[in-house]
Amino acid sequence: MNRLACFAAALVVVAGYIACSRVLAAGPGSDSGIQVQFSDEGAGPREIEDATAAAVTRDYGIAWKSVETALSDNRTEALDAGLIGFARDRMANRIGDQKRSGMHTRYVDHGHKVQATFYSPEGSTIQLRDVANVEVQVFDGDKIVSSENMTRSYIALMTVTEDRWKVRVLQEVQ
Amino acid sequence: MIRKFLLATAFVLVCWFAVYAANAADLQVPQQMTAGTDLTLHPSGSGKATLYLTGPDHVEKRGIRLGEEVTISGSALKASGYYQVMIKSGSDQSASRFFVSPAEPANENFLARPSRVPVAKNDVISGVAFVFDKYRNLVLAPVPVKFSLTVGDTAPMTRTETTKNGVAWVKLGSARKAGAAQFVAKVDDAEVRRVVQQVASDPCNLRMKAERRDKNIFVETDPVRDCTGNPVPDGTIVTFTEVDSNGRSTVDARIKRGIAQAQLPASDNATISVASGVVLGNEIHLGGGR
Repeated sequence: MNRLACFAAALVVVAGYIACSRVLAAGPGSDSGIQVQFSDEGAGPREIEDATAAAVTRDYGIAWKSVETALSDNRTEALDAGLIGFARDRMANRIGDQKRSGMHTRYVDHGHKVQATFYSPEGSTIQLRDVANVEVQVFDGDKIVSSENMTRSYIALMTVTEDRWKVRVLQEVQ
Repeated sequence: MIRKFLLATAFVLVCWFAVYAANAADLQVPQQMTAGTDLTLHPSGSGKATLYLTGPDHVEKRGIRLGEEVTISGSALKASGYYQVMIKSGSDQSASRFFVSPAEPANENFLARPSRVPVAKNDVISGVAFVFDKYRNLVLAPVPVKFSLTVGDTAPMTRTETTKNGVAWVKLGSARKAGAAQFVAKVDDAEVRRVVQQVASDPCNLRMKAERRDKNIFVETDPVRDCTGNPVPDGTIVTFTEVDSNGRSTVDARIKRGIAQAQLPASDNATISVASGVVLGNEIHLGGGR
């Protein structure tokens, strides 16, 4: 009887832990090929459903892939796959400047550790804190001007659009 | 002989260093700046060089002269984040990184849900405010946001919440009075207003009367109101059901000018009931000596 009670208690603790925190990962085999590790521990006020967590993980990877492609090829339209609103406008500005200066930027993405910090009560907006490992190479024509391998932190706001989550705000933080 | 050679080598090295020092650009850049402010650089050295600036929404390449002041306009430094400034002169290159922080709060995005809500319900209205500076950077420093919800001339419900990572949110109950509620989020002087239509809740004390007229039974409700006295909107369906020995007859009628009316088939011994949604009203027995 005692053993049964202990087992039941352990089961409750494990189930509680699983309910409170979750880590998802989208790796090189995912839609974008960008590695995203997602955790929703401490996010609120709304609970993040499994399907939402999976969709956000997938779509955040897609957003970074679209940034990578757009900055490398100087193609603004590539941003539409993952960015919207201010985030898209900013990246489009940068691409316009790159085109005018004959420059481009290559991102070598080594993965993102993403923590959901806020999920709005009505379920339309999610805020993420991202620690990204990226190598950024800036080119002037074919010549490399700078190359940095760094860890960068971002705050992202993603909103639901017609068919997926898209990044509306992407802001680098200290 | 060896002494002369060493002296000559030292002389060449000193000359080379002097030329190098004269040309090399030394970059002094503040570590931290506020969005939208100008940056002035004083690259040391002499001769022509190329300046590269890369930031979250800006990339710039321009020719400069070392030793002369270079100004980067605040319009190039609007987006919060890290910037890199590089000066390239021949094979020499110097680079510096600096961080641009958001400016003061100036704008907000306010999401209010839902747009239509029944009266007198707890925690049914949610408001989320995102606080931005005038350059659309999310202001990450804590900022108080005042939320208020007012219907007509009633006293407003107010709550002040402090932003966390640029976001503040609130959940409020609906008022007891139906009408267009003004839901406002205010940060300093920036105010955003949304309208939440508060409508009467489910009917309360649904009552009807029945009367025989010719070959029919005429049924009519009292004015249909919710539990806080707000009239239930016209168009709401009220269902009248008559059960007698022939079976069951049902009529769906819409509330019109506050009441619902219907005609049911005449019967010598019938039980008539009324309902709207999940709310049941009174029952009336006609005929059969009752």
